[in-house]
Amino acid sequence: MPIVILLLMLCLPGMTWAGWLWGDDEPEQRVRVVEPFVVWRTGPAVGYPVFHSSEKGEWLTLLQRKTGWMKVRDKKGREGWVAVAAIAQTQDATGENVNLSVPDMKAFSDRKFEAGILMGEFEGSPVTAGYGGYWFTPNLAAELWGSQVLGSASEILMVNANIVHQPFPHWRVSPYFTLGVGHIWVDPKATLAVPEERDNTVGHAGLGLRAYITERYFIRAEFKDYKVFTSRSTNEEATEWKIGLSIFF
Amino acid sequence: MENRTKHLFLTGFCLAQVMAFAPQVFAQERDDWPLIEPDVKPVPVNEALIDTENFEIGAFLGVINIEDFESSFIYGGKLTYHLSETFFFEAGIGFAEGGQTSFENLAGNVQVLTDSEREYRYYNINLGYNLLPGQAFFSENYAFNTNFYLIAGAGATDFGGDTRFTFNAGAGYQVLLTDSLAIDIGVRQHYYRIDVVGAEKTSMNTEIRTGLSVFF
Repeated sequence: MPIVILLLMLCLPGMTWAGWLWGDDEPEQRVRVVEPFVVWRTGPAVGYPVFHSSEKGEWLTLLQRKTGWMKVRDKKGREGWVAVAAIAQTQDATGENVNLSVPDMKAFSDRKFEAGILMGEFEGSPVTAGYGGYWFTPNLAAELWGSQVLGSASEILMVNANIVHQPFPHWRVSPYFTLGVGHIWVDPKATLAVPEERDNTVGHAGLGLRAYITERYFIRAEFKDYKVFTSRSTNEEATEWKIGLSIFF
Repeated sequence: MENRTKHLFLTGFCLAQVMAFAPQVFAQERDDWPLIEPDVKPVPVNEALIDTENFEIGAFLGVINIEDFESSFIYGGKLTYHLSETFFFEAGIGFAEGGQTSFENLAGNVQVLTDSEREYRYYNINLGYNLLPGQAFFSENYAFNTNFYLIAGAGATDFGGDTRFTFNAGAGYQVLLTDSLAIDIGVRQHYYRIDVVGAEKTSMNTEIRTGLSVFF
């Protein structure tokens, strides 16, 4: 019991300044149930038990959203979680259906920002990469990448910028082409006989595939061919494949 | 006498006043038309004003068993993005310090690694799955939402003067004290190849940890 009180006291400061930070003077967001009823759950997932339901005509105040769930309060002060899909069928004070963004395939085609994490192989060594991208038009985007390659002989860090062209933005599974430049830092393992640190400019071209899954995320897989511009007489070439999960906004 | 005249006069005046105003007062009460027209327009719901809490930031501490280098205190942080009610992305970092190998302990004045090489750091990027959402009950007054989750991913471990690609997998139990504050306990297993004590081999590091996180 004292532990619970202590922990609750820990969150008290958070609760007090949260109001100041977000502003308490915002108008309440209220909706009216027009379906025969909506069910309330104790938590934001279908796994949590249903403990209450609101019937047609009741007004609910929208408090906060977690993924596909909305926390609501009724006029008696009860609080619980209702699916966003059910809230989207309620009406607000204007008598119109509530305008909530439910991310779908259309939102995917209209996305402006995307970011993700991909993993795969760079010349046989594991690579971990993260990126962020901005779409200028539905067909053309610019991206910034950071990658780490951890081979048995060296550690490689790479920063790349590239443009992406996708010819069919409205397809659920949409192919794309990329072209870009970057910089590579190669740090050989200390145990090697002649460790030689290098950093070089790279150019790369690639092709890949995005597959929209649901809500805000999609799978992305790509293959890239890198040209490493060395100061020696020959340039080096490297191939890379990776696959990962991205989100869009 | 003068008082009496005043009294009569004033009483009459007051009565007259009341008579003069009363009909207006009563008329107002009977009239259904409000004096001031309500100037309230129905406001549509503005989604931007609803707080979304899909991110979670947290700190943890625990014990990690670094293979060949004893068990050590570990601490770190994590940033989570909840994709849906079941899936989440988690990026984590952890810091520890490797102890002595048994060889160093037995041989006495021998050092396999320098102090800076004993610093153990990892980062990882994981995908989590909320397998068993539920509720936990504490005494008769409190019910907390809980999640039992599985998590796996990859990243890098920096140890023994080397950075190695590392897989990790584990499970945890999260208790939400409020909708935006959670505690959790978890176990992670880290796998990487390393050659710090002779031939290259797979190092398995078990981590047991407990953490506190805030949703925002």
